[in-house]
Amino acid sequence: MSPLHFSFYSAFTFSCLGLAFHRTHLISALLCLESMMLSMFIPLSMWPLENQTPSFTLVPILMLAFSACEAGAGLATLVASTRTHGSDHLHNLNLLQC
Amino acid sequence: MTYFVIFLGICFMLGVLAVASNPSPYYGVLGLVLASVVGCGWLVSLGVSFISLVLFMVYLGGMLVVFVYSVSLAADPYPQAWGDWRVVGYGLGFVLVVCVGVFLAGFVDFWKVMVVTVDSGGMSLVRLDFSGVAMFYSCGAGLFLVAGWGLLLVLFVVLELVRGLSRGAIRAV
Repeated sequence: MSPLHFSFYSAFTFSCLGLAFHRTHLISALLCLESMMLSMFIPLSMWPLENQTPSFTLVPILMLAFSACEAGAGLATLVASTRTHGSDHLHNLNLLQC
Repeated sequence: MTYFVIFLGICFMLGVLAVASNPSPYYGVLGLVLASVVGCGWLVSLGVSFISLVLFMVYLGGMLVVFVYSVSLAADPYPQAWGDWRVVGYGLGFVLVVCVGVFLAGFVDFWKVMVVTVDSGGMSLVRLDFSGVAMFYSCGAGLFLVAGWGLLLVLFVVLELVRGLSRGAIRAV
């Protein structure tokens, strides 16, 4: 595997692990989601370079637009949690306890 | 030049590792800013300068600024720093997982060091990414409308998520 491919594969893995092992704040989970989007954007823009097809350059722009939508929804959840409970700690989201 | 691009790739990995094992969201946002700046430099050195500028302005200048303001809303007043042993443990644990995965999958081919670039022999009026993104407006006009509709819809989604006074599910207050 080329070192650059390893770089964004492992960056995506780090972000997935950081999302799985989130600790205190909701916003650190949202930051891991954003780094997953960033580490997908970079290989999506390297793909038309390696295959010399210019029309695939459209895909990272579209992905950035939808990632902005997702970031907006996540931040709205954060603001809702802060306005209800006073903080964004994850132990406040406890409606589904058994 | 090859080693500079690989150095940028390593800095990208380190920035994302800082996001994953952050002691406090302030340092997580710092790691994300570092990762996106280094990613922009990486894309420029590969040849797609337009995509790099889009990442810089839309992602770093738009979305990350909003994230920094939200971090100032939501984070602790007295944050932990990097020297805490649990944070170092998380970071080392993530690196160990990736190293074990690489070793088990047999991916270690680092002696074949190569960097893929666009072959720019001579002068060119239109580069690869300029002509590709311009197709967004001509052949991909339907996708353009779908993306614009989605972005408009998200405005109303955000409005419903933060609606209070016991009308929404999240805001019970």
